[in-house]
Amino acid sequence: MRPGLEGVSLLDVRDLSYCYPDGHEALRGLSFSLAPGERVALIGPNGAGKSTLLLHLNGLLPDRAPTRPAIIVDGLPLVEANLPEVRRRVGLLFQDPDDQLFCPTVWEDVAFGPQQLGIAEPQLSQLVRGSLGQVGLGGFEDRLPHHLSRGEKRRVCLAGLLACDARLLVLDEPTSDLDPRGRRELMALLTRLGVGQLIATHDLEFVVEICPRAIVLDGGRIVADGPTLELLDDEPLMLAHGLERPHILRHRHPH
Amino acid sequence: MLRDRFLSPYQHGSSAIHRLPAGAKLAAAIGGVLLVVMLPRSAWWAYATIALGLVGIALLARAELRQMLVRLLLLEPFVLGIAVLALLRPGGVPLFLSMLTKSTLCLATMILLTATTRFSDLLAVLWRIRMPALLVTTIALMHRYLFVLVEEMERMQRARRSRTFIPGRSSAWRNSAQVAGQLFVRTSERAERVYLAMCARGWKA
Amino acid sequence: MHVPDGFLDARTLVAAAGLAAVGLGLALREVRRHLPPRRVPLIGLAAAFVFVAQMLNFPVAAGTSGHLIGAALASVLLGPAAAVVAMTAVLLLQSLMFADGGITALGANILNLAVIAPLVAHGVYRAVRSAAGDGLQATLLAAGFAAWCSTMAAALACAAQLAASGVVAWGTVLAAMGGVHMVIGLGEAVITMLIIAVVVRARPELVATAAPATPQAHRTAVAYGAMLVIGVMILVAPFASSLPDGLEHVAERFGFADRALEGQPALLPDYAVVPLADTSPWLATALAGALGTLVAFGVAWFVARALATPGRLHTRR
Repeated sequence: MRPGLEGVSLLDVRDLSYCYPDGHEALRGLSFSLAPGERVALIGPNGAGKSTLLLHLNGLLPDRAPTRPAIIVDGLPLVEANLPEVRRRVGLLFQDPDDQLFCPTVWEDVAFGPQQLGIAEPQLSQLVRGSLGQVGLGGFEDRLPHHLSRGEKRRVCLAGLLACDARLLVLDEPTSDLDPRGRRELMALLTRLGVGQLIATHDLEFVVEICPRAIVLDGGRIVADGPTLELLDDEPLMLAHGLERPHILRHRHPH
Repeated sequence: MLRDRFLSPYQHGSSAIHRLPAGAKLAAAIGGVLLVVMLPRSAWWAYATIALGLVGIALLARAELRQMLVRLLLLEPFVLGIAVLALLRPGGVPLFLSMLTKSTLCLATMILLTATTRFSDLLAVLWRIRMPALLVTTIALMHRYLFVLVEEMERMQRARRSRTFIPGRSSAWRNSAQVAGQLFVRTSERAERVYLAMCARGWKA
Repeated sequence: MHVPDGFLDARTLVAAAGLAAVGLGLALREVRRHLPPRRVPLIGLAAAFVFVAQMLNFPVAAGTSGHLIGAALASVLLGPAAAVVAMTAVLLLQSLMFADGGITALGANILNLAVIAPLVAHGVYRAVRSAAGDGLQATLLAAGFAAWCSTMAAALACAAQLAASGVVAWGTVLAAMGGVHMVIGLGEAVITMLIIAVVVRARPELVATAAPATPQAHRTAVAYGAMLVIGVMILVAPFASSLPDGLEHVAERFGFADRALEGQPALLPDYAVVPLADTSPWLATALAGALGTLVAFGVAWFVARALATPGRLHTRR
């Protein structure tokens, strides 16, 4: 297990555990760290606890933030008082963009976060335009959400997070329902963005292509954490945790 | 999608009418409707003038008259249904005609308004006139998720229909109810996720 | 039941709008005070749900279809205050966007469908559940009967508004709208029950309007129910006997009939089409109402029993 760079880490998770009200133990003593700008994949079988972990990173679970925080974001412990700031620094991208894109127009949706932070005109419009430009959707300000494709909706959501100056993007299955072009565009966009990223995904090819490091989660526990190529090439490890060695690695020559 | 066209009355355009501020258009439309409603029953010349005015605005807006006419025709039966009640009174024919005319003019006004004004702009007007925040948020969310739910409903209906082997009213009722029930469950679950998303982006209830 | 522009007179419009504003204001206040924040988005999404559910077809005969109104359904699933807000949003959208329901008549439509209908549904639902107890059958019975009552209440209110505006005599519109909606209400009851049955089976916690547990609450619910029934009788009865004359008088003053009313044969008698009409219009109306209510309750009971018993009419999910 790779130790985090103490003192400079973007995200520090220490012994995080969580039990659902119905008794189901979703997370058991998770510990890991992320350095600023790092792009890490979070992989594992269904039910491993990936989505649960992601919700924790924004303080959406548990219902009341713990007194002894297990999560530290950019040096800020995740406690009740820090929730607004943590939610700003950690931008959570939901799996279904329709859940997150809840405003009437694209402009209003990207502006939602900054408005909650108290940003007003004229910086607000500049921020919205800038963020939309960053994700390649310049000129989309007046568009209506239901006229956009899935990929475009996702990028609008991303723009909304970037507009709040998020330092860490946490993405839940971002390529799950994209067509090949949408997927390529998203990969290009994520590599362009300099912020740290934690990406929960089933798309192992995607992981190989853009995530240097991977964390394998199974049954609420971290079973592996290391360089992507090492982990994903380890066939027994992959199969043991409901995954498989991605095709892209099968055809690589050992030299 | 035909449904989409039917559900969105807005016709995209850049005419002078389109560019007028939404608040002004809404006020004018409501004012127009009030005027028509207040007019004395046999003010036929006034009715004709207003009708001409509406046609004029429609032409200025370069609106798709056919689509608006279709909407108008679809709504007429409801107007007729109530106006017919007036015929049940002695001497009710002039009343029937005047109610029919008034109603139709009002319908046409609102159809014209929604054809030239985006709903999101109308929502912004509601915010500005200080309509209770809870109500405006409700309307905004309703409008946003209307199309999402319609698509979900259509998908579920298609799935149900492909598994319905016995035609007839009974299975049609059961299918529709099943779709509605499932849709509500999914809507509830989505509402939870929307709440989480709103909190994640800094919303404070 | 959406009243378009141009039918109701100014006095009725203003009175209805005032009452609607009060009802809506109280509901908003109730929601702000007592609804947990995590259920706030649900109101908006449920409004979308009601709108969409109203599009579903429930074929009746020869190509015609019935449709859900949804006030009772919303009341049972969301609670009365949230249902008022949701139904108001639906009506606003229908009026603004689709010209379904007049913009000046918005107050009346909101009063009928977004205030009266959900509140009556809630009152009846609570009353029946407190009497019938827990369990799926009781819930369905309560919801079904509540749906019928709410439809009738909205229809009667609408009829009263049309009569008060001089569009048509009270006796006529009561018979017409009341009679028609007795049947429509049955459809609403059955549809509501079918949908609630699906929801309860999938996620029972969503039908959260719990029956009152304490005997004190039971008594309160029954008292509300009794007050409601008595109130309706009081409202309906005198109108049936005395108001048509009053309306005729008012109508003449407003000058809506261009020709003199005397000496003109009416196209349809002004009173309820029941044999007792000539001697006692009040009794005839009351009997018709009571009979209809009993039939509705019976239908609701029968369907609820069928739905709650697996393997009978309704196949298990």
